[in-house]
Amino acid sequence: MVEQERVRVVRCGGSELNFRRAVFSADSKYIFCVSGDFVKVYSTATEECVHILQGHRNLVTGIQLNPNNHLQLYSCSFDGTIKLWDYVDGILIKTFIVGHKLHALFTVARAEDSVFVTINKEKPDIFQLVSVKLPKSSSQEIESKELSFVLDYINQSPKYIAFGNEGEYVAAVRDFYLSVYFFKKKTTSRFTLSSSRNKKHAKNNFTCVACHPKEDCIATGHKDGKIRLWRNFDDDKKYTYTCLHWHHDMVMDLAFSVTGTSLLSGGRESVLVEWRDAAEKNKEFLPRLGATIEHISVSPAGDLFCTSHSDNKIIVIHRNLEASAVIQGLVKDSNIFTGLMIDPRTKALVLNGKPGHLQFYSLQSDKQLYNLDIVQQEYINDYGLIQIELTKAAFGCYGNWLATVEQRQEKETELELQMKLWMYNKKTQGFVLNTKVNMPHEDHITALCFCNAEKSENPTLVTASKDGHFKVWILTDDSDIYKKAVGWTCDFVVSFEEIVTIWDSETWELKCTFCQRAGKIRHLCFGRLTCSKYLLGATENGILCCWNLLSCALEWSAKLNVRVMEPDLNSENIAAISHSSMGSDLFVFKPSEPRPLYIQKNISREEVQWGVFVPRDVPESFTSEAYQWLNRSQFYFLTKSQSLLTLSTKSPEEKLTPTSKQLLAEESLPTTPFYFILGKHRQQQDEKLNAALENELVQLPLTENIPAISELLHTPAHVLPSASFLCSMFVNSLLLSKESKSAEEIPDDVDMEEEKERDDSDEENDFTEKVQDTDNTDLGEDIIHQLSKSEEKELRKFRKVDYSWITAL
Amino acid sequence: MAAGGGGVADPLSPAGVPCAFSPQSQAYFALASTDGHLRVWETANNRLHQEYVPSAHLSGTCTCLAWAPARLQAKETPQRKKRKSEAIGTSNQTDLLALGTAVGSILLYSTVKGELHSKLISGGHDNKVNCIQWHQDNGYLYSCSDDKHIVEWNTQTCKVKCKWKGDNSSVSSLCISPDGKMLLSAGRTIKLWVLETKEIYRHFTGHATPVSSLLFTTIRPPNESQPFDGITGLYFLSGAVHDRLLNVWQVRSENKEKNAVMSFTVTDEPVYIDLTLSENKEEPVKLAVVCKDGQVHLFEHILNGYCKKPLTSNCTIQIATPGKGKKSTPKPIPILAAGFCSDKMSLLLVYGNWFQPTIERVALNSKESHVCLVRDISNCWAPKVETAITKVRTPVMNSEAKVLVPGIPGHQAAIKPALPQTEEIENKRKLGENEVSIEERLGALDIDTRKEKDDLPQTNSFPVLLAQGLESNDFEMLNKVLQTRNLNLIKRTVLRMPLHAVIPLLQELTKRLQGHPNSAVLMVQWLKCVLTVHASYLSTLPDLVPQLGTLYQLMESRVKTFQKLSHLHGKLILLITQVTASEKTKGTTCPAQKAKLVYEEESSEEESDDEIADKDSDENWDEEDEEEKESIKDEDVDEENEEEDEDTEEKDEENGEDRDVASEKELNGDSDLDPENESEEE
Repeated sequence: MVEQERVRVVRCGGSELNFRRAVFSADSKYIFCVSGDFVKVYSTATEECVHILQGHRNLVTGIQLNPNNHLQLYSCSFDGTIKLWDYVDGILIKTFIVGHKLHALFTVARAEDSVFVTINKEKPDIFQLVSVKLPKSSSQEIESKELSFVLDYINQSPKYIAFGNEGEYVAAVRDFYLSVYFFKKKTTSRFTLSSSRNKKHAKNNFTCVACHPKEDCIATGHKDGKIRLWRNFDDDKKYTYTCLHWHHDMVMDLAFSVTGTSLLSGGRESVLVEWRDAAEKNKEFLPRLGATIEHISVSPAGDLFCTSHSDNKIIVIHRNLEASAVIQGLVKDSNIFTGLMIDPRTKALVLNGKPGHLQFYSLQSDKQLYNLDIVQQEYINDYGLIQIELTKAAFGCYGNWLATVEQRQEKETELELQMKLWMYNKKTQGFVLNTKVNMPHEDHITALCFCNAEKSENPTLVTASKDGHFKVWILTDDSDIYKKAVGWTCDFVVSFEEIVTIWDSETWELKCTFCQRAGKIRHLCFGRLTCSKYLLGATENGILCCWNLLSCALEWSAKLNVRVMEPDLNSENIAAISHSSMGSDLFVFKPSEPRPLYIQKNISREEVQWGVFVPRDVPESFTSEAYQWLNRSQFYFLTKSQSLLTLSTKSPEEKLTPTSKQLLAEESLPTTPFYFILGKHRQQQDEKLNAALENELVQLPLTENIPAISELLHTPAHVLPSASFLCSMFVNSLLLSKESKSAEEIPDDVDMEEEKERDDSDEENDFTEKVQDTDNTDLGEDIIHQLSKSEEKELRKFRKVDYSWITAL
Repeated sequence: MAAGGGGVADPLSPAGVPCAFSPQSQAYFALASTDGHLRVWETANNRLHQEYVPSAHLSGTCTCLAWAPARLQAKETPQRKKRKSEAIGTSNQTDLLALGTAVGSILLYSTVKGELHSKLISGGHDNKVNCIQWHQDNGYLYSCSDDKHIVEWNTQTCKVKCKWKGDNSSVSSLCISPDGKMLLSAGRTIKLWVLETKEIYRHFTGHATPVSSLLFTTIRPPNESQPFDGITGLYFLSGAVHDRLLNVWQVRSENKEKNAVMSFTVTDEPVYIDLTLSENKEEPVKLAVVCKDGQVHLFEHILNGYCKKPLTSNCTIQIATPGKGKKSTPKPIPILAAGFCSDKMSLLLVYGNWFQPTIERVALNSKESHVCLVRDISNCWAPKVETAITKVRTPVMNSEAKVLVPGIPGHQAAIKPALPQTEEIENKRKLGENEVSIEERLGALDIDTRKEKDDLPQTNSFPVLLAQGLESNDFEMLNKVLQTRNLNLIKRTVLRMPLHAVIPLLQELTKRLQGHPNSAVLMVQWLKCVLTVHASYLSTLPDLVPQLGTLYQLMESRVKTFQKLSHLHGKLILLITQVTASEKTKGTTCPAQKAKLVYEEESSEEESDDEIADKDSDENWDEEDEEEKESIKDEDVDEENEEEDEDTEEKDEENGEDRDVASEKELNGDSDLDPENESEEE
């Protein structure tokens, strides 16, 4: 029991989604993106996370579909491994141990048993593109140290490397040159742009590269917003390039559509540009995507695009440039000025979201609920513009009132401040602006707080500012006007650099002043419930003080470099997070006694910026004394890199993978009209196969197949699945009818076809052929000399197929 | 066959559309509307999560739906079982949704993938499916139908595990016991089955009409002394079509008792029922019943034995539109469903129309027996496609919002002096204030009479018009006067205006300054003139601070930049203009003013004193050189900033004065301004 109740730090949201290009599955149903140590599988239709592929021990740096089996996914990581996943079920198939830190991953259909990765060997800044041979073996973990060098001195990001024309060449860019390596010729050609310091060419740097899927054409993006299309680059002299220029700032990413007819580009303008036929005049735009486009990817089926944005979202876009879905993580783009708050109404976490917005994030479902547009001004994506920033926000105690402060400061003296007071309108279930106050203070507002005394029906807001004033805003009774009066509530304290002053809310008098020669006070909070006579302060130079308000004396002080101090609303506990070079430590204590209730060392390596207690819906019951503080509320904190962490007693297996207990429902969709056609066909084949295996040679009647085909052909188009799926089936049935002349060949033929179908339908590729294909080899060899070369090739493929079902028959 | 029309055509089918909250955290709300669409809404932000149209939605509409327990997830391909699984998605995701249709098929829909997961058809029902229940532990699915049968499905293989005849008529409702070993079914009578053997364990009488809902209300027997076999002593609840009573039954150890233990009465046929399970003896069962008439009835009751009288609800919740204007009456908004949140203290209400319902979380803390929530759902009708994708909500910013800028009352309150002191002074001052008003009245009389008498030239009539306008608050008249751009005219008017009109004029000017900036430019000229000419008068007024506080704030906030420079500039201008003004007034003193002063009795002391002081000081300044005057006249062209500064100055001092000891002011009597200026000059 005690063992189980170990509290651990659990990452609970806000993971990064935009680190690398997202990858589509072959049927565009799923989208994969790297997210910290995991790979996440999202459904493009519902925006839901279907699976989390976990197994890497460090940051995942690249993912690619297995070109030979589109139901499998390769991923590489800083931990030096390449892993092969079955993404449909979320199962790890294999691990290849490479050993080096892997920075990027590329796969090429032509190179069947090897993948390309970026590593750095000697110097920290020099990266190499190497190909890794992935040996075939049935074991789960395979060492694959067989590296062959391809290109040197490249950039680490995968955006700077592209494979073109089905893997005939690879293009890599860095700084001012483009190098192209041809695999057949094994030569490298290099093209350099002028990098002179004068204004015209100063921003010629390459920023990204993409290769045309069919033709010999390379598109490169540049820092000045130009896109260059390179042709004839197999010749060092005759090469040409054309320029496309629309972006006014750096081109962040480029992608060709599947057919290569159009090129997609995006950048800081947050506009997706589609260049049709590589011509400057044929442009289509999808504007207002919200934030800088970091990556663009195209689904292999060609019907969807997706863009990853700097505010941690992925937008799925239809072929006709219409956004269809948004996968949004915790918005990370801006600095978190507001800190973490809890909306008392929805129990959602509230913090800075998109620029000028407050985001409401549901902790239960780990999803963003919505962004509340506070500033209500068009956001212009441009470098160097000083935007209006949402700096402070506070909720009234029942969530009826919301106060926000926005500021914009261009120069030292030109501070623009605006405070808005929003009232929650129950009738329309939304916030309505009640009062707007321009320049509430003459200087930056440092704190904003609603009076949280429950008895007071009049909301009272206090703002403190750097100008040395604090103001109390109260709701006047006549109408919806706020009026200013000076004064303060018992429960509130104003601290100046070194001095703490306490004001009475009833008489608006200065009650007492604490002076501590200890340095600037960073945090202040009152004890709650039974400890409400205590006041706690944390100073900048690492001292935590506790004053007794009744005796006006310093109760105790402790040497602790407190970064975050948060009181729990449901209990007397206060959590303080200290930071040192070793990491951040968490202390939970009651103000009445200086001894902490609970200490957790090293909750994160980075500095913790904000923390908040979230009251639990259903109280938990931890029996052990050390964890009782977690019974009524849960503690969440946000680190500097903006990952949201929490403390949980559940083991990670329990929290994330209930596989052992999970009940799984099988998929069975029996009754589409199309199924009847194909199903009949398959059942027939199954029967035949059985017969064949029992060596009952049955003449396959030619005519029997023809109705099936004709039925297939006469089925109305709207009930047919995609042509690509039908095609192989259709061709197979044709093959069968033609080749089933000799009775002896029938079993093998049918066998083969069955396998082919399997291969098509589930792409079961187990690499365990050595064991299983023994009983088929004698049959297979019989045919080989009779079959054409292409068929031979196909047959070889089938060897890899799982034949275990045969033994089961 | 009751196909086609689905639930609507059949009079004995339950009212309301099939809908359900997802288990555990109620994150989603699934609603299968009569048009055959399945819509899943996110309860937290009231957003349409997904929409699904079954391929046979016209022939086989959805008649019932049930969320799978949270642990049950869709799994796709069957072959992979042998492989060691490393990871599978998050646990608390709710996924599968079972839909029963009017033609007897059952669809399993995966909400994570947004597609049909499987279809349970072979060997199942051949008539309308009435109810579906998931087994909480093993992933079995139970369904009952109009074809009189109950079917047990194995969802892992999607095959029928068992099918048996449940009743002689159609089986309308099902419920699985808390321990998962028994099954309640309702047909003509309510039967309790042992799941293992499919034998009848108990019979209950049931309702006259088809039972639409069955729910176990307790998971522990009331008396804990006896050993608990998992079922004996438990209570369950049943509601039926066209029945305004919900019956509570108890499973007894003896087989005799077949009648209901107690009943709850509601206003109409129950459409949706949700309850919180009571886990121990003391905890009451909370029950929320949504009726066909759109109300929610809440019951809170500790189940313990018989109760003959039907219980009425503790609380009724209704929702209505606000009803715009006087004529339109508030219209009720039907509540579609209500579910308890996991904290048992708040209720999720779904209301509006099924096409675009609104989901709201309401805290249950009121002790009132009837709650009517007023909600405006008129703007919910337009489908919100834009917000569905970007998830941005724009809060309303309408013109009703109050805007506070520096200088407008409310933005900054005057710093109040200590309370006891001011009270005393105010008492003393009340007399003075009265006198002022009398003075004004007299003045008004005086002016009126004078106006009738003589026709003054145009420049002369301006002060009259102004005074008249201020008295009567005539907007037109004031506009005529105040909108002049002629500087000289302004100066002369201000010079000749009666003293008592100065304060009203300043207040009028303040009001106008807060208006449009274009008019404010003109007002600044006036303000400048008034303050330079009548500074001495103003400084004598004891209650200047409360009267002109807003003007002071306005000016203070507008001249923040270059504060010291403008202070200096303002002072200089004030001096110079006063010198020039006094020179001019010497030549042409206004006769009207003098005539008025004669009437004054008490307050004349002060003012005359001032006048004298003024004149004295003026005389002192006569020695100023002419050159300086001219040079500063050029500066005069500089604009508003400076002018406002003067006032800033002025008020600064007055404020300071007020702050110190207000009584001192009375003693001093005359202004601080003038002596100070003098001293500066000298």
